[in-house]
Amino acid sequence: MFKQIIDLGGNEWYLILSLWIFFVFFVFVAIWLLRMRKPYSDYMSQLPLENKKMEKEQFLD
Amino acid sequence: MQLETFNYDNKIVRNFGIATIFWGIVGMSVGLLVAVQLVWPFMNFNTPFTTFGRIRPLHTNAVIFAFVGNGIFMGVYYSLQRLLKARMYSDLLSRIHFWGWQLIILAAAITLPLGFTTSHEYAELEWPIDIAITIIWVVFGINMFGTIIKRRERHMYVAIWFYIATFVTIAVLHIVNSVELPIAAWKSYYLYAGVQDALVQWWYGHNAVAFFLTTPYLGMMYYFLPKMANRPVYSYKLSILHFWSLIFIYIWAGPHHLLYTSLPSWAQSLGVVFSIMLIAPSWGGMINGLLTLRGAWDKVRTEPTLKFMVVALTAYGMATFEGPMLSLKQVNAIAHFTDWIVAHVHVGALGWNGFMTFAILYWAIPKIYGTALHSKKMASVHFWVGTLGILFYAIPMYWAAVVQGLMWKEFTPEGVLKYPTFLSTTLQILPMHMLRAIGGALYLSGALLMTYNLIRTMQKGKLIANEPAEAMALPPIHTNEKSIHRRLERKPALFMVIALIVILIGGMVEMMPTFMISSNVPTISSVKPYTPLELQGRDIYIREGCVNCHSQTVRPFRSETVRYGEYSKAGEFVYDHPFLWGSKRTGPDLHRVGKKYPNKWHYDHLLDPTLTSPGSIMPPYPWLINQKIDTASTAAKITAMRKLGVPYPKEYENYANKDLLQQAKSIVDDLKQSEVDVLSDREIIAIVAYLQRLGTDIKVTEK
Repeated sequence: MFKQIIDLGGNEWYLILSLWIFFVFFVFVAIWLLRMRKPYSDYMSQLPLENKKMEKEQFLD
Repeated sequence: MQLETFNYDNKIVRNFGIATIFWGIVGMSVGLLVAVQLVWPFMNFNTPFTTFGRIRPLHTNAVIFAFVGNGIFMGVYYSLQRLLKARMYSDLLSRIHFWGWQLIILAAAITLPLGFTTSHEYAELEWPIDIAITIIWVVFGINMFGTIIKRRERHMYVAIWFYIATFVTIAVLHIVNSVELPIAAWKSYYLYAGVQDALVQWWYGHNAVAFFLTTPYLGMMYYFLPKMANRPVYSYKLSILHFWSLIFIYIWAGPHHLLYTSLPSWAQSLGVVFSIMLIAPSWGGMINGLLTLRGAWDKVRTEPTLKFMVVALTAYGMATFEGPMLSLKQVNAIAHFTDWIVAHVHVGALGWNGFMTFAILYWAIPKIYGTALHSKKMASVHFWVGTLGILFYAIPMYWAAVVQGLMWKEFTPEGVLKYPTFLSTTLQILPMHMLRAIGGALYLSGALLMTYNLIRTMQKGKLIANEPAEAMALPPIHTNEKSIHRRLERKPALFMVIALIVILIGGMVEMMPTFMISSNVPTISSVKPYTPLELQGRDIYIREGCVNCHSQTVRPFRSETVRYGEYSKAGEFVYDHPFLWGSKRTGPDLHRVGKKYPNKWHYDHLLDPTLTSPGSIMPPYPWLINQKIDTASTAAKITAMRKLGVPYPKEYENYANKDLLQQAKSIVDDLKQSEVDVLSDREIIAIVAYLQRLGTDIKVTEK
């Protein structure tokens, strides 16, 4: 089943390695996002609006 | 905590705003000129400085680096200060940045029509200007990071991540793609040759689109769209995913510009795969932008700025769907080298960049002048005229592309090309080119309307050069932040390093094997360096910008090998500093043109293309008969080429001109037999020698 991925020769390495690098990177980003707290993302999304209420809460962590 | 008062610097925003408008009008006007030149060749005005080959790069540079570039700096200087609750780090650096950038643009506007060009697309400027760009870019970086360091807002909003990624990636792209060996004040040769040069150039070219035309605009979208709609961004989490996946994937997609060329096929496949993957982050960003308007769509009806933003985002979505589709080999086989690419680029430039720039100008100028926009109605008229302009531009170009692409490939039932004369396919699409010019004129007239509207707005208000603001001072961090990303957001230098690593991975995986493993570029023993005369001719070919209309790479299709000859091999380009494969065929491919026609044909064709090709839209080049070959530069050119690895014999530079004159004399003698009397020291002789050499190293001559 994994023969196409394991049994590599010549230039095939570059292609499969590239996809693996992307896959690992993507998983890391996904973990970051899943662990992100909602109050934090709410606060960050309000930043451009320069909301005074949010300004007071900027040190909420 | 102490409440601090400070001022935002609006003067620098105003200055970049005015520069955006001014250079936008210039860039679009030159664009209109090159559009009409492609229909009415007399619009080349029969002078070297106004011919299509020299003016087309002026248009692309003016629009990308002058209009969009100034637009980026305007948006960044406005939003950065407010997102960080701090004035720009240094007013002096802001001024150096502004005036330095304008001088660079001015230098480009002077040197490109004079024929000083490297020929690398979107990187045509010669080495002194490259150095100036590097210095000014560093000034911008110091000013930006200085502001980030002295900020009063602890966390960096996603827009600033996009600005950081833009800064670091453009620096890398510019430096790597500008490694040149100067041979004179305004002439240099690239370090890379042939396939390797092509890979570096399109790694740069593609990512200049990504990190100059896209990421800074995404950053500005994430700031200005919530401001205009007065609503927070739809999903902050999606913006994080958008950022990291976009900067990671974009950098790999460059080789899709080189499909079916002699670039190793594994690199082509890699480019295709990552191009398809690119749809996800691009559309993620577009959707995030459009959904920010949820519950605020009623404002789109009344607010011209939001109208412009909606079309900008839609154009971004269209262009970023179309890009991956064009990367599919089956689509690319028809679309590449046609007007489809031109249409694709302009949907992005006119729709995404242009319309967002207009939206920001309409929004920011009244704000910094403390007044309302002079006329919303006029802005709405601009919106509709501009939208119509985009449609009139893009639709005829798509039509022209499909017509011409299919005509190139059509065979008769007997198995011969149905349209063997390339010119017949060009003439077929001229009506579409006329419509395109109308589209461009509409778009330009909309921009002129905006200029008037904004001038009146400025006259009505007064510039708030130093806008007062207040914010709490940023206290030192005492708590241990658990989230890695939140810690990262507080450390801009570390953030920059990680972004740098992310964007370097793709380039390294693609470039290192191509540079270091010899089997990727097989050499051909019959391929020899250019003679001194051919080398001089090649430099004239570069100076006149022939590469803007003629490719030099025959793809392995029956329709191309029958039309042009044997398909191009990697080993044929090993002495080509720079490569000249081109990206558009307004005229035919020239890689196998050597020995196809007699010298007299080339002489007549360059003097007046309609003599050999009635109806041709190619401009004439009469000055090539008057101007002398710059033989004083031959030695320096040979020496430079040898330094770059071209195997000229030792001390050949000392007698290279002797060979040059001998070869020139043989061409002149041949022309004399055709009753053409021309001096052997004229540029036309050199360019004829170069054209006659093209593709002949492995060309099989019929007996």
